[in-house]
Amino acid sequence: MPDLRVRDLHVSYGGALKALRGVSLDVPSEGVVAVLGGNGAGKTTLLRAISATLRLCGGAVDSGSVEFAGKRLDRMDPAAVVRAGVVQVPEGRQVFEHLTVAENLRAAAIATPRRLRRPAWDRVHELFPLLVERAAQHAGLLSGGEQQMLAIGRALMAAPLVLLLDEPSLGLAPRMVQHIGEIVTEIGRQGTAVVLVEQNAALALRVSNVAHVLETGRVTLSGTSAQLATTEEIKDRYLGGRPTAAPPPRHGGSQTLVVQGVSVRFGGVAALSEVSLRVVAGSVHALIGPNGAGKSTCLNVLTGVYRAARGSVRYKDTELTTLRPHRIARLAVARTFQNLALSASATVADNLLLGCHRLTRAGFVAAGLRTRAARREEAEQRHRVGRIAELLELDGVLHDAVGTLPYGQRKRVELGRALCAEPSLLLLDEPVAGMTADESARLAATIARLRAELALTILLVEHDMAFVMGLADEVTVLDFGRRIASGTPAQVRRDPEVIRAYLGQAAKEDAVP
Amino acid sequence: MKHFFELLLNGLSLGCIDALIALGFVVVFKATRVVNFAYGSLLLLGAFLIGRYHESLGFAVAVLVSIVVTSAVAAFVGVVVLRRVRLADPGTLAIVTLGVDILLATELTRRIGSDLLTTGDPWGASVRDLAGVHIAQTRIAAAVVAVGVVVAFLVALKFTDSGVALRAAAERPATAALLGIRLGRVAAGAWLLAGALAAVAGLFFTAFPSPGITGSVGQIALGAAVPAAVLGGLDSTTGALVGGLAVGLTATFAAGYQDQLAFLGRGFGSVAPYVVMLLVLLVRPSGLFGGKEVTRV
Repeated sequence: MPDLRVRDLHVSYGGALKALRGVSLDVPSEGVVAVLGGNGAGKTTLLRAISATLRLCGGAVDSGSVEFAGKRLDRMDPAAVVRAGVVQVPEGRQVFEHLTVAENLRAAAIATPRRLRRPAWDRVHELFPLLVERAAQHAGLLSGGEQQMLAIGRALMAAPLVLLLDEPSLGLAPRMVQHIGEIVTEIGRQGTAVVLVEQNAALALRVSNVAHVLETGRVTLSGTSAQLATTEEIKDRYLGGRPTAAPPPRHGGSQTLVVQGVSVRFGGVAALSEVSLRVVAGSVHALIGPNGAGKSTCLNVLTGVYRAARGSVRYKDTELTTLRPHRIARLAVARTFQNLALSASATVADNLLLGCHRLTRAGFVAAGLRTRAARREEAEQRHRVGRIAELLELDGVLHDAVGTLPYGQRKRVELGRALCAEPSLLLLDEPVAGMTADESARLAATIARLRAELALTILLVEHDMAFVMGLADEVTVLDFGRRIASGTPAQVRRDPEVIRAYLGQAAKEDAVP
Repeated sequence: MKHFFELLLNGLSLGCIDALIALGFVVVFKATRVVNFAYGSLLLLGAFLIGRYHESLGFAVAVLVSIVVTSAVAAFVGVVVLRRVRLADPGTLAIVTLGVDILLATELTRRIGSDLLTTGDPWGASVRDLAGVHIAQTRIAAAVVAVGVVVAFLVALKFTDSGVALRAAAERPATAALLGIRLGRVAAGAWLLAGALAAVAGLFFTAFPSPGITGSVGQIALGAAVPAAVLGGLDSTTGALVGGLAVGLTATFAAGYQDQLAFLGRGFGSVAPYVVMLLVLLVRPSGLFGGKEVTRV
């Protein structure tokens, strides 16, 4: 079977931004090749160059080649690359939400020769029995982990010789990451070559045979995964220590968020049942739990997006469950979103200014006439935006379009926008999803500083255990919509129920060293 | 009461024609995100071909020719004309279709000249009496054909590879391409289908009791397609069908009760669909079935 060869590949976006500067690597016809690297290293660009989708994203191959079975993939269109046997699973899963699971799989089989369809079906059924169970359901209703399985299964329906996987562990709970890892190994063993792009180096090195480290568009380190796993350089960079945030000062006061017996139902499914928690003013409270535990639902209830069927949420002597989202925002409650909700074509400064909306008094007419009050207000807001950008280390990119920034920085912009509303209570939905250990440690330090300087109360939803343990004063654990434990990080970590439900035995060693 | 039932029946049958028109409009939007303003003149082309050739070729053959030629022209517009500017944004492409519409409509109007073209369909001007309620024979034929076409379309959309490919490409074009779905083919298929629908709809839209095939037919048809498609939700085929029926019923009832509605002015029937569209958009900004999010539990 043929190998996939990448030779001295140079790629740029918009003719200016150099994303790859001479990458060469070989993918043998079997087994798993891992490509590691931080945000903006060029990992996704490499996959796009192989799958010929660069052009759809405004990029172009300047020089070099991608060859497979004697054919130049970089000169084909994406559909032809798939027919040649190279199939990509895009980052962020990208399932067809309005199609059923079965239709998602079928869509990928359209390009597959008929004789290969049956074996592909059988393979997907064997690897992902869960997808068979839920075949008739809309893919949009699956949990994150299930959607990732569907995305991989869907690509397998195209009967690939080479499978390109872009960040399959992104935003998934450790147990699910473990499971996906096993499946990737299995796919490699079954005779399909896999190119795995990952930030989770522990996972990538465990499941791969060979690994390459990509940094600012160049391969800086290559070797067998077993070798690389023992390299000090790799350990420092990706498996780094836990963040060590100093315990911040406590602010007293009556501004405690009290959630009491909240239940939410969607149709017949109980997303939350009788959940209670207290977020003490000035503290950092973490809400953790496996996928589908109800964490995001809980945030949505707090911000008024979902209605609670029962129970109460009180903050600043106000009952939140009956308020509309914009009324809750006026109580100085701000949130960030798990999947970034930024305006990609606007600059960082404009995105941050949007966050000031709650505090803007000048109306449409005053702003249009540029009255003195309106101008002063705008100047004040620009000042505040500048200060917050500084706190978040975004001052260098303030006038860049958000769409041009790497993922990690976009997450910071999202956080900055929430801060511009001058919240007293900040709700963070998976702030470090998709970041390397190093980046998440830096963000933890930033958050600890922000909280001290801006007198914030923070409720955060997270999968990243190291991040939570280093930062939170208190932890509440949800599983299947129920609270199964709460207490200090140390207490929760020892709770056998939590270990069973959330961490799993193998993952425990990874997440809580 | 008899008047009411007569309007209801006529409104439903007109709604079937409007639904066909809206369906062709929506299929192109769904597959390519292009608002196809050339759709009216494509419909005029379909009707024109039938009107011009039914005497020499016979009605049935003329309809077949019309379907084939109109589809081919639509595919030419969609694939050849728009490919040149494929990387442009959908707004630009919509303006290109507007240009195509003006060209095509002008040329057809010139060719029609002062002729009085009729469709020459076998139902002619006969009117059926259903339990005291009068309805044109052509309208019954229109309803039967429309239901057949729509059912066939929906079955194909749900169960065939092409249908799945269209829906996948409509939802996430980049991902569909990553799975080997050829977006160019999906777009070409959508334009072909839109052309065929335009020809069939053109036939019934200009048959009795309409006055015949004139240069303004395209504009009038587009005037029905836009509110129907928009109020249903531009990217929803179900929406196009519901929207078409709603527009047909509204226009018929507003015209039928115009004496009672005289305080709104003469000819309220022709603006009534737009009023309904605006009211729907006030409540549901993306239309009845458009852009609905699936919420994860």
